[in-house]
Amino acid sequence: MIATIVHTDELLQTVAASLIAGIGVTFLFSVGIWGAGQFTELSRANRPVAASAAAVIGVLGLLCVAAAVITGIVVMTHK
Amino acid sequence: MSSDVILLLVIATALAFDFTNGFHDTANVVATSISTGAARPQVAIGFASLLNFVGAFISISVAATVAKDVVDAEVITPTIVFAGLIGAIAWNLITWYFGLPSSSSHALIGGVVGSAVAAVGFDAVLAEGLVGKVLIPAVVAPILAFGVAGFAIGLSYRVVGKQRPGIVSRGYRYGQIVSGGLLALAHGTNDAQKTMGIITLALIANGTLGAEADPPFWVIASSATAIALGTYSGGWRIIKTTGTRIIKMDAAQGFSAQGAGAAVILASTHFGFPLSTTHVINGGVMGSGAAKRLSAVRWGVAGNIMVAWLLTLPAAAAIGALTYGFTRIFGTGALGPILVTMMALSLIAAAFARRAQSGAPVEATGT
Repeated sequence: MIATIVHTDELLQTVAASLIAGIGVTFLFSVGIWGAGQFTELSRANRPVAASAAAVIGVLGLLCVAAAVITGIVVMTHK
Repeated sequence: MSSDVILLLVIATALAFDFTNGFHDTANVVATSISTGAARPQVAIGFASLLNFVGAFISISVAATVAKDVVDAEVITPTIVFAGLIGAIAWNLITWYFGLPSSSSHALIGGVVGSAVAAVGFDAVLAEGLVGKVLIPAVVAPILAFGVAGFAIGLSYRVVGKQRPGIVSRGYRYGQIVSGGLLALAHGTNDAQKTMGIITLALIANGTLGAEADPPFWVIASSATAIALGTYSGGWRIIKTTGTRIIKMDAAQGFSAQGAGAAVILASTHFGFPLSTTHVINGGVMGSGAAKRLSAVRWGVAGNIMVAWLLTLPAAAAIGALTYGFTRIFGTGALGPILVTMMALSLIAAAFARRAQSGAPVEATGT
């Protein structure tokens, strides 16, 4: 009876989606900022290979953010 | 004929409610971006209005919940919906006048439930939908936003902690353009759908739509327009409320608070849960503050939200019930709703006039 009223499945999916999207996007965006910061630091230190690697990681982080946002909106509009 | 007049009154009242919803919530949606310097007020407000409008088109799950899962549409009449709307508007006006916190969303649901109970009895209320899709998510969502924002900001500080502050601040400020946009989109989709749901319920009650019908396009478009215009008109007179009254935040906190709020509202919207978007946004703001320093959060605001949550549903329900009883004094025709509309407009004008004389309201109510 209580399980029927509570909509447990939908509530748990909401919690899971919120945790993954909210924490995941912030983490990935932070990786993007970390990449930009490291790129600047390492370029100043004349370490081009390490700087490029940091830049790639940062760009990947930002691309994942973009992909997550687009996926979220597509899922929202296809119910 | 009189039924059509009442239906028109319901649609006009619902759209006015939607406009005031956007007006009140401008602060909640854009305050974080403005308080961290991520965007200029006019740009943030224009952007938020546009995304409120777009957001209203991306889902109809919440509208379906409001129209079909809270009260039994087959026993509802347009007068019941009208009385419920008046209950919600009256409660919002009372809380606005006295500077008390409130929730427009909870007031709307409470008003309709109250008038339905007064008209038909408790059989009109779909307890499963009311408890499972409104009350429980209303409690869970702000706590969830608090937790998500707290974890997110903790993780962010670990990732960027050793970077130069300048690049970190600048980065998160750019990020807030995205997170703030998502929050406005989320706000538009959840809040505009409540109005769509109410208008759809009235159309079903009037026999204009079938019991299982979805909101027609004109309902979606008019609700989207009303909330977007409301957000744009809200201005930034009350922006300080959310952005600085809970915590003084940095750009990373703003980003995580907005991201958490948007994630919770969008996920809930997908499953058709009508939320108080203000409570969720404030939950995110408090979470991002508490993760950094517990004492940075003004916990009194959390207490106010609790009080608002406890008071709003029963108070709006009581006013909705009384309004329905009053309209029935004049029979089942349009006279009762017309008189109530005139009285409501007079009271609103009087309240605004008194407020204008005695100064601005203390705080914005939310949805």
